[in-house]
Amino acid sequence: MTPTLPRPSRPSAAGLLLIAAGLFINLLISLAMARASHGWMPVQASSAAPHVDGLFALETGIGTFIFLGCISVIIWTLLFNRAPRYDLVDGDPIEGNLRLEIVWTVLPFVLVMLIAAHTIRVNHTLATLGGKERVAENGAAPALTASDRAPGTTFGPIEVIARQWSWEFVYPNGVRSTELHLPLERRADLRLTSMDVLHSFYVPAFRLKQDLVPGSVIRFALTPTREGRYRLRDAMFSGGYFATNQTDVVVQDPETFDGWLAEAARQPLTEAPNLALELHRQRLADGDHGWATVPPAPPPRVNVTTAVDAPHEA
Amino acid sequence: MTGSIPFDPRVLRAPHPVPGAPDNWKRFFSFNTDAKVIGIQYMVVSLFFLLVGGLLAMIVRGELITPPSDLVDPTVYNGLYTMHGTVMLFLFLFPILNGFNNLLIPPMIGAPDMAFPRLNAAAFWLVPVFGVLLMASFFVPGGPSSSGWWAYPPVSTQNPLGHLINGQFLWILAVAISGVSSIMGAINFTTTILRMRAPGMTFFRMPVFCWTAAAAQTIQLIGLPSLTGGAIMLLFDLSFGTSFFKPEGGGDPMLYQHFFWFYSHPAVYVMVLPVFGIFSELLPVYSRKPLFGYKVVALASFAITFLGLIVWVHHMFYSGTPQWMRNLFMVTTMLISVPTGIKVFAWLGTIWRGKLRLTTPMLFCLGGVVNFIFAGITGIMLATVPIDIHVGNTYFVVGHFHYVIFCTITFGVFAAIYHWFPKFTGRMFYEGLGQLHFWLTFIGSALNFLPMHWAGLMGMPRRVASYDPEFALANVLASLGAFLLGVATIPFLLNMVSSWARGPRAPANPWNAIGLEWLLPSPPPAENFEHDVPTVIAGPYGYGLGKPLVADQDRFIARSEEA
Amino acid sequence: MTTANSAAPSPAAEHPHGGYNLTGFIIFLCSESIIFLAFFAGFTVLKLSSPVWLPDGVEGLEVRMPLINTIILVSSSFVAVLAEKALHHRALWAFRGWWLLTMLMGAYFVYGQYVEWSELAFGLGSGVFGSTFYLLTGFHGLHVITGILLMGLMLLRSFRPGNYDGGEAGVASVSLFWHFVDVIWIILFLLIYVWQRH
Repeated sequence: MTPTLPRPSRPSAAGLLLIAAGLFINLLISLAMARASHGWMPVQASSAAPHVDGLFALETGIGTFIFLGCISVIIWTLLFNRAPRYDLVDGDPIEGNLRLEIVWTVLPFVLVMLIAAHTIRVNHTLATLGGKERVAENGAAPALTASDRAPGTTFGPIEVIARQWSWEFVYPNGVRSTELHLPLERRADLRLTSMDVLHSFYVPAFRLKQDLVPGSVIRFALTPTREGRYRLRDAMFSGGYFATNQTDVVVQDPETFDGWLAEAARQPLTEAPNLALELHRQRLADGDHGWATVPPAPPPRVNVTTAVDAPHEA
Repeated sequence: MTGSIPFDPRVLRAPHPVPGAPDNWKRFFSFNTDAKVIGIQYMVVSLFFLLVGGLLAMIVRGELITPPSDLVDPTVYNGLYTMHGTVMLFLFLFPILNGFNNLLIPPMIGAPDMAFPRLNAAAFWLVPVFGVLLMASFFVPGGPSSSGWWAYPPVSTQNPLGHLINGQFLWILAVAISGVSSIMGAINFTTTILRMRAPGMTFFRMPVFCWTAAAAQTIQLIGLPSLTGGAIMLLFDLSFGTSFFKPEGGGDPMLYQHFFWFYSHPAVYVMVLPVFGIFSELLPVYSRKPLFGYKVVALASFAITFLGLIVWVHHMFYSGTPQWMRNLFMVTTMLISVPTGIKVFAWLGTIWRGKLRLTTPMLFCLGGVVNFIFAGITGIMLATVPIDIHVGNTYFVVGHFHYVIFCTITFGVFAAIYHWFPKFTGRMFYEGLGQLHFWLTFIGSALNFLPMHWAGLMGMPRRVASYDPEFALANVLASLGAFLLGVATIPFLLNMVSSWARGPRAPANPWNAIGLEWLLPSPPPAENFEHDVPTVIAGPYGYGLGKPLVADQDRFIARSEEA
Repeated sequence: MTTANSAAPSPAAEHPHGGYNLTGFIIFLCSESIIFLAFFAGFTVLKLSSPVWLPDGVEGLEVRMPLINTIILVSSSFVAVLAEKALHHRALWAFRGWWLLTMLMGAYFVYGQYVEWSELAFGLGSGVFGSTFYLLTGFHGLHVITGILLMGLMLLRSFRPGNYDGGEAGVASVSLFWHFVDVIWIILFLLIYVWQRH
């Protein structure tokens, strides 16, 4: 265990060149990853999506840079710092380097604070979350009309009601649907409530999610920016057949949307088909094997139901 | 030292390991107060439950390999994933870390045992008790708890069959008993570290593992009561008609989330801090270099403790929280990357220009550090509110936390098992099997958990028994990785059992490491240094400095090799 | 920095395990206080945010009887201090007398709580008010009962010859626990009985 003198710490010119080249390659790969990250996301269908994807690309790029930087250090040591087989002599007794430690404390601090500040501004821009109001009884809110619309929104209010395990949407003119239709480029005012347990309103194509809390009505605003049919999934575990609690969001240009709404108003109210109810009935018919679950809530009676097998884009 | 010497029968019946004597296995099944016995008891029980949790995971991944719910009923799936999480956290991770605390803390600080040996034994024996309780919940009418390991009300208080004793009730009881056991342990570990260090061992001569253990146990003391409080209120809502979280009675489900996460976020630091300590202990040994920036690394542990207690709302960014709260907790969550980053960079500084030996413990360490850097980056993404709004409660989160819990923490646990196996069993393990275990685990875990990030980004929610077909590829890859991980357990178990039974005898210091525990025989006697406690005269990672750790070091080395 | 230390006495001999008991107990009390803090926080949040607080037919809580109970409980802490002082001077019978008085005052408090409970018009299932009231007072009452039992144990131990040769850590710990229970009650009293406006 004889001590060895630590070698001089300044790298040679060749070493500096190698580090610079490595950093440059790292930068290129990080930029490429940041650009590629857009391909890992669904289509962008709301005004929020580009902001979210932009933030994600930024962090993918920075993350790739840090990851590759650290990995190269590790790979370098694995290649060039292996102890010879029967060599039991210690390495350099380097116990620290104050300047380096200060750099790698201050730099990450500044970096994350910049990201946080930028994100707070993005949050302010998105402004999706409205107020939350405690209600004395579930669903006891009076019927909403267009005059109740939240400031800053240009369509709605639409009541979004989640149950175990179905979605129901109520439009200002009284139309009820299990499929959420929205007019393109209008900022929609949504009132989210649950009739029983926690649920979550999640549309991956919009990059938006908000839990529905029983006993509260939460206001939420969003602007769809692309026509199409997108999945809406319940993202908060809500019991037995939670995985089936999905429906679609259909974004239409305003004329088509108005036509749909008018046509819907003319339809009678019928009980919507409900996958959870079917599965539960099947389970009971098969002898009720399986673990405990509450029976599904009666499906909502609506004017329009979901087109069950219509292909969705995201 | 061969079997031809007859042993005194009193030696054979001794309640503690006697160097050189055949092992007295009965002491592991008794109320033994020796911290080393209790440590092994914790380790064996936790490894058993690792297998139970792993089996549950195999069924879960078997269901998820195809989009429809076709392997088990969805309600059964919900119970399986709930119990997978619960068993892994409360019956594997927390007990095994307490096992390490018991085995490592007294020898590392030169103490004979823990401050309260009987409390120590009691804390251990609560583990099989609540383990049995939790396993029993599989057999009550209605099945086990099926509301996720979070047990969010109102789902968790719905009690569909209306029985008083139901799976959720037993779950809450088990978690409460687990909390009592953990608090007992925390009191023991913190008192021991505060009061029982050897002469000359100031706080800044204490190994980093003890620093991180102290930091982690401080979190337990401050955070666990919040979980206990929430669990009591949940139990009352479930069984006694109260309305803490029931809106129809004036309660608020959001309150539970605050109680739950106020503990459960810091809980992840309770799990990861000791593993940070393990990396900090092992990397110097296998690079033969001092730990880079030891003092700052030690203090960063408590920075993590403090910051870890003020970030919990980042689990509720998409929940019923107002915007100002989301912004505030985003800032605090991002801050925690600073002390964590300090540790990671210190590890890189430790191996840089070192003399690396890629033994099995070192492989698991390096693999764990690499995985952790990746997990930390996805953590920053999750801390960013708009990104979390999109990927929260999706498989992105599942991928992230498995990267931390399995690919970092469990890798660290394996590294520590291999590293200290010779010390506490007196036997060497088979290196070939160890390397096989590492490679199968590294590849299996990457295959299992990397595709989950992609599925989450595309919008696959978590906890689903069935999913839309576009997520099929990611799930097939993940399931294959999971099955590979199942296979990887085989060389590990084989190695542990056969090495302990008939592996070659281990010397006192097989790794040529610096530390008080390496000045003891393998295995150490009861009361470790007994009446001859060394006086510490140097810092803990003096590789390359050529100075002894303790006064009169040669005498201790000679004594340890005598046995 | 001694260089030759061939037979340093082990920590076990220098600091018998009894020396750590008070440290461990203080750490335990700090942890226990957090569960009460959690309940207090929950009570406050529910009271401030719930659309429905008092159950139908309930106007509020009567304060006079609980106030008397409070005075007795808080005074019992001072009596406990007298007992500790007597023990410090090894006046064992004085210690036992004051200690028993503390226990009796604590028992009266529990009895008073039981009387109050039996006269209340609401139960555990009476919405969020009933839930929080019974949880807080019940959990605290459990701690008072535990304190009385621990005191009983200390009282019995005081009859053992040579019980205090290693110090008075047991009595000191239980006394600390009793003071803790008192402070918790004071906060509880202020939150539940004094702060009754909604």
